[in-house]
Amino acid sequence: MNDLIDEVKQLIIDTLDLEDIEPADIDYEDALFVDGLGLDSIDALELGVAIKKAFDVKIDNNSDDSKKHFYSVKTLCEFIAASRN
Amino acid sequence: MEFTIKQCVAWGGGLTSAQDWQDYAQGEKVLSDTQELPALKQIPAMQRRRLSPFAKLALHCALNAADDCLTTVPSVFASRHGDLAKTSKLISDVAAEEVLSPTQFGLSVHNAVGGLFSIYTGNKAPLTAVSAGEDTFFTAIIDALCKLSANEYQQVLVVFTETVVPEIYQDYVAQEEVDIACALLLEPAGQGEEIYKLSLQANTENQQSENSQMQVLDFLNFYYSNNEQVNVNSKRHLWQLTRTINK
Repeated sequence: MNDLIDEVKQLIIDTLDLEDIEPADIDYEDALFVDGLGLDSIDALELGVAIKKAFDVKIDNNSDDSKKHFYSVKTLCEFIAASRN
Repeated sequence: MEFTIKQCVAWGGGLTSAQDWQDYAQGEKVLSDTQELPALKQIPAMQRRRLSPFAKLALHCALNAADDCLTTVPSVFASRHGDLAKTSKLISDVAAEEVLSPTQFGLSVHNAVGGLFSIYTGNKAPLTAVSAGEDTFFTAIIDALCKLSANEYQQVLVVFTETVVPEIYQDYVAQEEVDIACALLLEPAGQGEEIYKLSLQANTENQQSENSQMQVLDFLNFYYSNNEQVNVNSKRHLWQLTRTINK
């Protein structure tokens, strides 16, 4: 799981061009969007595409479930891990 | 139509200040193929991260030329090829059947930079995007003058931007291109100011090839010189730009 967490953090940084941010700066449980890291709706789309590509998982656009999955690094990792099984 | 140029800000070919461009017009400085991009410190990092080199050049010039009227000025954004580096990457992805990047897709349309300017400044004034081949620069000025005249605007911002086309397209471009942006703030001429006049005629000479020099460089060379007029011939048009002092 720790490997996955690092991988997801690095994917977020690379995909969204977060130049000045290190993986350690991204909190595991904090919100990624709006209040937390400050990502916006375009980032959500971009991240969805990147995660689909990197982990070969299926994401339903706009469903309430995807909103929960994309809340934090923690929820994203749990979602990816569950989808792989 | 008569007009005056309240502000001129250009960044390209390694030349970044009015002094650089004066030296260029005097023949004391030449253009370079490589250059640093404007830092754009005024734009927050979270917004700045999405700006391509093309967008950085355009926004630097636009924000500095329209410093006093950022939230209200109508504008004309002009580019011959647009942000083609971005567009051609998307086309390659389509060909390779890759999933397209939503961010890149959203920012690849011809008026994307105008949109970024509008979002960043909160400016809701009318905005047009112009592309007119080798005549793009002067055509943008014509469009701005029409806006000044027809709508009785006090000022109109013109932002021209071009970056060197990706290698795959280079055989199709006759002009010697450099990465450059130039923003002009145009106003109706008042007393005691320099009056510019731009006129055009059809070129009936059947000129076979495009000019090797970009029009924006013809303009900057003239603007920063002491000359009173410049003639620029393209395949389709004969342009003449003159200036006199309004007495």
